[in-house]
Amino acid sequence: MLKIFYSFWYKFKEYIVLIILILASLFALSNNNNASVKNVRTIAFSSFALFSSLISDVTSSTLIKNENGKLRRLNAELMLQVNLLRKYGIENQELKRLLALKDTTSFPLISASVVSKSLNTASNTFTLNSGKIDGVKPGMPVINDLGFIGIVYSVSDNYSMIRTLRNVDLRIRVKDERSRVDAILKWDGDDLILTNIPKTSDIKIGDRIVSSELSTIVPLPIPIGYITSINNMSTDIFNRVKIKSFSNLTSVENLFIIKMVKSVQMNKLELNFFEKENSAN
Amino acid sequence: MRTKFLLSILFFIPVLIFQITLVQFITWNAITPNFILILLVFYSILYGQLYGTVLGFVYGLLFDLITGGLLGSAMLSSTLAGFIAGYFSNENKRHINLKPFNFGLIVLLCSITASIIFSIFSTIDFNKNIISSLFEEGLLPGLYTSIVALIIIYFYPRRKLLES
Repeated sequence: MLKIFYSFWYKFKEYIVLIILILASLFALSNNNNASVKNVRTIAFSSFALFSSLISDVTSSTLIKNENGKLRRLNAELMLQVNLLRKYGIENQELKRLLALKDTTSFPLISASVVSKSLNTASNTFTLNSGKIDGVKPGMPVINDLGFIGIVYSVSDNYSMIRTLRNVDLRIRVKDERSRVDAILKWDGDDLILTNIPKTSDIKIGDRIVSSELSTIVPLPIPIGYITSINNMSTDIFNRVKIKSFSNLTSVENLFIIKMVKSVQMNKLELNFFEKENSAN
Repeated sequence: MRTKFLLSILFFIPVLIFQITLVQFITWNAITPNFILILLVFYSILYGQLYGTVLGFVYGLLFDLITGGLLGSAMLSSTLAGFIAGYFSNENKRHINLKPFNFGLIVLLCSITASIIFSIFSTIDFNKNIISSLFEEGLLPGLYTSIVALIIIYFYPRRKLLES
């Protein structure tokens, strides 16, 4: 019997072992959810994970290095795109506001864009892409949706140069919108200053300043800025009042020139500031 | 015999680490070569069918335990692959079967069988076309494994092979 069994084993041992092992595998397959199998698997998995984590750390650091390079490049590209979109957004908002202003104002407006800016602290000037052909003349006020920007100073066929609020050569007559106190606005190289305001005048911080109808340059009330500080100088009879303009001159790009044709008689009578200055030069 | 078996288990560990960590870098369209199977086929041809069958079972068991896969799926597929590879372990033809082309074909046969059985129990989706599933899960990994096996055995030192 044993001999038969031995010869059977000798003949078919590969098959017998195969069948046993297949049965063992199928048994393992059917017992996958068994708690003890799970435990064994957890132990084996966690103990081997140490070796594999060492290697994967090395490989992942190489991968991360490559990925970092790619991400940095992508980041730079996205930053450029975001900047471009932000610029478009700002331009869009500005143009929308300008369109709204154009619809509401009763004065004829000439639209213009800033071609170049001379951001000199003492004599700030802008060059606009509208000139004589568009009907621009020296002395015309320039505004944007927030308020006054400057005065056209010289004009060529297609371009014009304006003196902005931050120009020491520009002085305009303004008034306090609330108390109607008149003053002269000028740029002292650091701040916009209101001069000729007696200490007894009714002015307060936060008051809106607009151009005065009495002005020979801007004879209509255009918002300019608001009072930020009032300095009472004991030795002087006038206050030194600082104002902040509504418009941000460093970021402004699209403007309107108010096509104002002033009365020649009035000009002659009041000796227009601009013409007077030109003739002096 | 015992030393041989221990040695083949010892070799299995670095191959397994390589299989679960570095093979991802040579994966092509989610098809990976099975380096464990190449090792198994090699030992099966070298040491016989019984040895190959048992080694396949042990390799499969360790693979299932360590990778956290479905316990039994790799056991079954590797056992069968070792058994099939053992058919080519004829003493007179062993050196012929370890030549690159023959070895590649044996690996292809074993790999296709193992991949199909493994995928039946673990990954295959029966809602998909069964033919395309078998092609994707069985034939393509088998082909890739056999190409890799062909390259490995080509560069394996012949003298060492004849000595063993």
